[in-house]
Formats: sequence, structure tokens, C-alpha cells
Amino acid sequence: MRQLIKPVIAAGVIGTFLTCGSMAQELDLTKKETYDQIMGWANEPLDTSAFKKDGDLRIGVAAGYLSNAWINFTAQSIKYEASLHPEIKEIKVTDAAFNPSKQAADIDDLLTSGVDAILFWPVDEKAILPVLKKAHDQGVATINIGYNFMRDPSVTSNAYVNQWSYTEQVVDEFIKSLDGKGKVFAMLPIAGSSAAVVQLAVLQDALKSHPDIELISTEYGDWDRAKAKQLTENLLQRFPQIDGAFSPAGQMSMGIYEAFDESGRLEELTLSPGDDYNGWTKLVAKEGKWGSVTSGLEVGREAVKQAVKILTGQPTTTAVVVPTRYLDPAEAAKLNEADRPDDWFKTDLPAEFLPQ
Amino acid sequence: MRPLQATALACQRLPRIYWALFLLVLAGLVSTPQFGTAANLANVLEQSATLAILALGQAAVIAGGMIDLSVGQLVGLITVVACMLFEAYPAMSLPIIAVCLGLAAFVGLVNGELVNRLRMSPLILTFGMLSILQGAIFMLTDRSVGQAPPVMTFLANGRIAGIPASLLLVAAIAVGAWYLLQRSVFGWHLLAIGNSAESARKAGLNLASRTRTAFVLSGLCAGIAGLLVAGRLGTGFPNAGSGLELDSIVAVVLGGTLLKGGRVSVAGILGAVLFLGVLSNILNLLQVPAFTQIVVKGLIVIAAILVDRPREAAAA
Amino acid sequence: MTTSVQSFPRTLRLPSLDRAAVWIVLVVLVLLAGLVSDAFFKLNYLTNLVRQAAPVGITAVGVTFVMLLRGVDLSVGAIVSMSAVVCALVMGGKVDNLWLGIAAAIACGSAVGLANGLLIAYGKGSAFILTLGMSIVVYGLVQMGTGGTARGIVSPGFRETLNGRIGGVLPVLVICLLLAVAVGIFLQSRTRFGRNAYLIGANPDAARLAGLPVSRVTVVAYMVSGFFAALGGLALLARTGVSGTNPGAGMEFDVLAAVVLGGTTFSGGRGGVGGTFAGVLVLIIALNLANVAGLPFAAQLAVKGAIIIAASAAYSWIGRRGGGLGRE
Repeated sequence: MRQLIKPVIAAGVIGTFLTCGSMAQELDLTKKETYDQIMGWANEPLDTSAFKKDGDLRIGVAAGYLSNAWINFTAQSIKYEASLHPEIKEIKVTDAAFNPSKQAADIDDLLTSGVDAILFWPVDEKAILPVLKKAHDQGVATINIGYNFMRDPSVTSNAYVNQWSYTEQVVDEFIKSLDGKGKVFAMLPIAGSSAAVVQLAVLQDALKSHPDIELISTEYGDWDRAKAKQLTENLLQRFPQIDGAFSPAGQMSMGIYEAFDESGRLEELTLSPGDDYNGWTKLVAKEGKWGSVTSGLEVGREAVKQAVKILTGQPTTTAVVVPTRYLDPAEAAKLNEADRPDDWFKTDLPAEFLPQ
Repeated sequence: MRPLQATALACQRLPRIYWALFLLVLAGLVSTPQFGTAANLANVLEQSATLAILALGQAAVIAGGMIDLSVGQLVGLITVVACMLFEAYPAMSLPIIAVCLGLAAFVGLVNGELVNRLRMSPLILTFGMLSILQGAIFMLTDRSVGQAPPVMTFLANGRIAGIPASLLLVAAIAVGAWYLLQRSVFGWHLLAIGNSAESARKAGLNLASRTRTAFVLSGLCAGIAGLLVAGRLGTGFPNAGSGLELDSIVAVVLGGTLLKGGRVSVAGILGAVLFLGVLSNILNLLQVPAFTQIVVKGLIVIAAILVDRPREAAAA
Repeated sequence: MTTSVQSFPRTLRLPSLDRAAVWIVLVVLVLLAGLVSDAFFKLNYLTNLVRQAAPVGITAVGVTFVMLLRGVDLSVGAIVSMSAVVCALVMGGKVDNLWLGIAAAIACGSAVGLANGLLIAYGKGSAFILTLGMSIVVYGLVQMGTGGTARGIVSPGFRETLNGRIGGVLPVLVICLLLAVAVGIFLQSRTRFGRNAYLIGANPDAARLAGLPVSRVTVVAYMVSGFFAALGGLALLARTGVSGTNPGAGMEFDVLAAVVLGGTTFSGGRGGVGGTFAGVLVLIIALNLANVAGLPFAAQLAVKGAIIIAASAAYSWIGRRGGGLGRE
């Protein structure tokens, strides 16, 4: 059997590598034009007649994962917004724990229990299209709250934070504070996640016009402060001089900061702005530099409003876009709630809807 | 009296996990009206197919007193490779499936050969392999790629005369696994090795060859599972197999197969996979909060292993 | 898995070489690292590397005892997470709660260890699955208890002290790790519990016949494992602060790899805390090497796997019959 297997494997491996060049996706996340196009689509009117329901509404939320502060706050704001709409009878939340097969199963189960709309943030956009199609075919509205815009007949609508412009705001400020030169590394979230792909693309795009900035390494810190710290410590050992770190996620920026601090090389470090993570804004308040870009936490509430519009047949557009904004250090410091935990976001949620 | 006795006998021989499954299904029928619908039950079967196939492969390795932690990432690798290849050569579905199965079997072969030649713990070896395969996946792609061959999409989601196609696939593999592990000389030898490698060697069994075959079977099953995942997701998602290795081990053990080797039950494994699938389904339908679901699942794993524990298991 | 080698002959081993194997691997690796990177032998670099290893290393000390008994503990990653989260939560940012937080974390970790021990000693289920189930339960409880957000705030002074360096040179966490290892070595060689653990691990049936308290030693071993995992969680909290609700995710496998590399294999009854310490260093230096060599993420994963296999195989080769569940 072995004699037979080997040539087949060789052929398979060679074939695999040949195909690497020809990857194509419906939406190319690594191109700015894609996002201009998305903004165009977002303003198109949406025909809601197919989804109009009378009486009580049931809404399902299929979370790709829940064990993360940002996602958690978004989930809480979904529940809060739902509580403001008396017509919403129940809201069901499932957690796929990063497993796309589980998410497909979760959506199956939500359909079985008779929801009228499904809000979801995908583990992977393409991987849940088959089950979304099933939902769509049953007349259930599907609203994407994930990282990426989804343009597909099975996706009714998007509540969307423009990740390109978000990251662009981060990159622009970063380049400004670097004075357009230096050796930098990128700290990205989970390898393979859309977030990592987009963030790297925006950075590389911007670096094209700044040849004096050298990207010396790309790391994947899994949105994890501890992991980001360890990766940074290794980089500090490898490179005698590092001028900056591109890290759009505040909790990882904190790990980076500590690693520089502990190796006595803090004066080398220029960090990119982070987000509105409380631990990060505490740090911004302390350092008085670097700033934040708002992460669009309102997206959860917008998604529920959009669902209600669709299910009650009100006019709306195909997507709601939540804007993000750069906050200079002084303004970002105001976001910080010193008596709150690091793993926290400032919101206007009433106390009973805060995570507990 | 006779048929009753026969039934009683059959019940006695039925792996104990079926009692738990029976109770669970009963609870599901009573507590939520949506559970018993044909559409929902078909969903549960479809959702469980991947794990069933993976667990059957894992069973071959565990029967021999070993373990294979690499199967989860192997599922991921095959999912990615299948979808990439299909996008490049859309006309060649069947050769691509053959290549993928060959690749999966080859990884199993490498595992088996290394266990034999390096004389090391399969747990550590396949743990290392897990990491290597993960690296290989990310060398190929860092995001969802390609497209699943329609054959696999059909196998994963389609129906033949109202029966999920994946169910038929699982049935076929289960029959094969049952024959290999519980009726063939190979299975007999494997269980003997699992019981006591030392005695098996003294009895003149070829340990190396049986070990190799067990890992190849495990790899092959991971390959089939990977193709099924590709069909279900429609795309090659690099993290598609994360954690499946542990799920497969849990299913095997819940089904009454001894983790130290020497006893295996294909019927038990199928029951265990169904049990896990039905449990997840009912918890979702009953709107049990996501985090509570996790706790319930952990408790059930613990409870099940205590109830189904083998008398001969040692203190450790 | 855990008991499939009980019938292997034990008389043919070369104990001294067996025990030295992991140290030989370590020395080779250190020399290699020195060749690759000039900075490696700098005090700052070395101590920093050991400090990185503290959470895994402290946790591995406890797991060693479980593995001496032919058991395994997959729940330590979840216990580490729980310990860090609970500690910060109880501290609530107040100096007064410092010791309360530490005590709460240790109590929780030991309680989970106790539960593991009782289930395994008296329930007689597979340790692999039981502790896996326990890790799922603990993870779920932490998520339930926190709502998915790590709401704790570390007391002022906790991180500053533990994460600092004495005299600006020696990291406190390195001392903690060395202390943990010292306590572990004391437990294994100077107490009745340690001696019993070796005897029972080497031959449970004979130990039972000889009237050794097998169940009690098993319970204590899992408690020790939970206890050290809680300390590992505190070390992680000190090193990186509050970092989500699952900072110990996947750590059980690094710990397991380190213990096995250190010569405490699944066959039980041999190895020990000293070897585990060397195993932890082997693992952390190897990963650091891959990183310093500038390998991309994907290649690092592959290299990590290859190193675990290669080191384990080399160990098995040097130690003749070592390396764990060999088929010999």
C-alpha cells in the first residue's frame, strides 16, 4: 500500500502548492476598493416585505464565541435593546466556541425553535453560508454582526463596523506618531481570523507609501494579553531596536507595553492607538499618548433595531454602518473608568445589563 | 416468554450509553415539542456524522492501547486541501477525494511508523503531530479558502429517499469498523495488544504492523471526516478541526471502549456520539444559557465515565 | 492509556542514564541556543526566559505527582484560568483583599484537585476523561461566574512585587519557580507521601497488597496538582495581569509535554520534579529558539511539534527504555 500512497501524496502536495496562487474570494478583504463598494451597497434600500411578521417576535443570536469582553458587551447590548422593544418576546443566545460546525448546528437548532430573525457573528463567513441559506429559504431574516460585511442572497442585512476605515484610523495615527520611519512589528489577533487578515492588509497598504517604515515581524497574539506579552519578549530578544508596535486591539497592546517596560526599553516604543478597552484607556490616561479608536460597540443595539425594522416591514437600507472615530489621548483618557476592571468597555448599559 | 428473554438479553448486551441516550431522548420529547420533529432529528444525525466517523477511527488506535491527538488538525488540513484543490481543478472531484484520503492515510502512516521506530508515547508523538499539522495548515492558508466539491456537499447535507446521506456513510463505515475491530483477526490482535503489549509480543504478534494499520485507519477516518466537514461548511476553514481530537476521545470512552485498550464497542461509540449530539440539541432548544451548557456537558462527561466505568480500571 | 504498560519489565533499566537524559537534552539545547543567539547567555535574557516559564513550570510540579501515580491531569489549564480570574475578582483592586484573593484562588484550585482525586480514587474512572470533563466544568463555571468578562482588578502591590526583580536582576517569579521546585523535591523525596507515590506508581497492585494507602495518596496527589495549578495561575496573573476569562487555555498540554520530557512518563513510578523542571526549560528554550530564529507563525507551530517529538525521541533513545509509552 505504501508504494501506492507515496506518489499520490507527492502529486497532492504539489497540486496544493500550485493552487496557492489562485485563491479568489467574492469580497477581497485586502483591497480598499472593496470597502468603498460596501459603503455603496449599504445605502441600497432593502425590501422587507418577505420577512414581515405579525405579533410577537423571536430573535436568535448565534455567537461565534462569547468568551471575550467585547463580544460579551455586544451580546449584553443586544439583550438590552431587545428589552426596549415590547414586541420581542424572547431572545435566544447560542455559543459556538470558535467551532464553525457547532455554529451551523446552533443555527439549525435556532431554526427548529422557531425564531423570526437570527443575528450572528460568524466563526467564519463562508463556512456558515450553507446553513444561512437554509434560514433564508425558511423566510428567517439573517443579520450579520460579524467583523466582515457579507454580500450574499442568504444574508438579509448587515450591522457593520467598517474595519478597513477603523484600521486605517489606527494606522494613520501610528504612522504620524512614528514620524514616518522606524522598525515596527504587527500584533494581530488569531491567525486565520478575518480581523488578522484585514489588519495586516491595511498596514501593508499604508506602508507602501512609507518606505522608511520596516515591518520586521508579524505576530498572532490571539487577542490575549499574556500571549502578546510573551511574543513581544521574544521579539525584544531578537531585535536590538524596535521603534513601534502596530496593535489595534487594546488588550494586546497592554502586553506589548509591559514587555517593553520590563526589559527597560520603554523609551523605544511607539504604540498604535488601541480601541476603547478599559485597560488600554487606563494606560492611555497614564501615558498621555497613543489614543484610541472607538470599536463600534453600538453595533449590537443597531442590529436589534434593524431586525425589528425588517420584521415589522418598515423601510430600511441593506446595512447599518456604525462609524468609528479616533480619540486623541486626552479624549480617550476620558473613556477610562479607573474603578472598573481592565477587561471592560465603557457603555451606557443600565446596571442590570452589565456582565455579571 | 422467549421473545421477552431475547429482548432482555439484547438489552444486557447493549452498551450502557444507550440507556442514557434513551432517557435523554425521552426527556427531549417531554420537554420540548420541537425535539421530536423529523426535521430536527435529521439535523441531529447530520450534525453528528463527522464526530461519529472520527471517533470510529480513534477507536482503532485506542483499542490498541494508544491514542491519536492529531486527528482534529488532520480534519482541518483535509478540509483546506480538498477545497483548495477543488477550486483549482473543478472537474476533478473524485481524484481530489482520492488524493485527500491518500494524504490522510499517509499522515496516519507517518504516525504509526514514528510510534514504532522512535518507541515513544503515542500521546506525545501525536501531540507533536497536532502542532506540525496546524503549522502545515497555516502554511497553506490563513483564512477560508476554496470550495467544497459538490459530491461532498451532497454527502454532508443531502438526502437519499429522505434519509441523510451522511447517515448512510456513517452506517457503512460503522459496519466496516465493527467487522475490522470486533470480528477480524486484525481486531483480535489489536485488542490483545491493547490488553497487554508484552503478552501480545510473546504470543508472536506483529506489534509494529498492527500499530501502523491502526494509525492508518485513524488517519483515513479523519480524512473522511475532513471531507464531510468541507461539505458541511462549503469552504476550507483552517481551524475547522480544532478540539475535535478530544471530542472523539470522549465519544470513544463514553461508548464503553477502554482508554487503556483491550476493549472496544462500535455500537457504543455510535450511541455516545448520538448522546452528545442530542444533548447539545436539547440544551439549545431548551434555551439553556451557553455557559451553563458547557458546565452541563462537563458534568455529563464525568457522570458517564463513572457510571460506565470498567470494573478492571485501575486507581489511576 | 494510563495503565497499558504496567507489565513492562523494570529490571532492565539504566536508572542513572535514564534520569540524566533530559538534562543532556537541556545542555545540548542551551549550547545550541548560545550558538544561534549572542544574547542568550546574558543574565537578563536567561532570567527572563525562566520567568516566562514560571506559570507552566509551577503547574508542572504538581502534575508530576499525578503522573508518578500513572495518572494525568488535564484540568490544570482550567484551574490556572480559574485561579487568575478568582484571585483578581476577590482582590477587587483593594490592598486589604490581597491575601484573601490569594487564599481564595488556592482554595478553589485545591478544591478542584480534591474533587478530581476523590472521583479518580473512589470512582475509578479514567483519569484522562475525568480530568478532561473537570476542565470543561471548571471552564464553564468560570464563564458563568464572570459572564464572559474578567471583571477582577488586581490589588496594588501584587503584580509590582511578584513581577519585579530583586536588586533589578533576579525576577521574583524565578525565585517562586525555584521554590515550587524545591517544595516538590522535598515532597517527593523527604515525605512518606512522596515515597508512597513512587511505590504505588511503580506497581499499584503490589502496593495495595502491601497495605499502602493507595486511595489516600491518589487523592492527595490530585490535590497537590490542583494546588500548584492555582499557584501557576497566580504566577500568570502576576506576569500578565487580568487577561480575559481563559488565560490558561491549552496550558495543560504544555505542562504534560514538559512533565513527560522530564522523564515522568505515563508508566508511573519514575521521574520526578527535578526532571520536570528540566523539561519545562527544554520546552521554553526550544520555543524561544524557533522564535528567535525568526520563523513565521506557521513554521513555528510545525517546529514546536517537531521539537516535542524529537526531544521526546532523543530522550527515549538516551534513556533506552524511557520516553514513555513505548511499545517495548
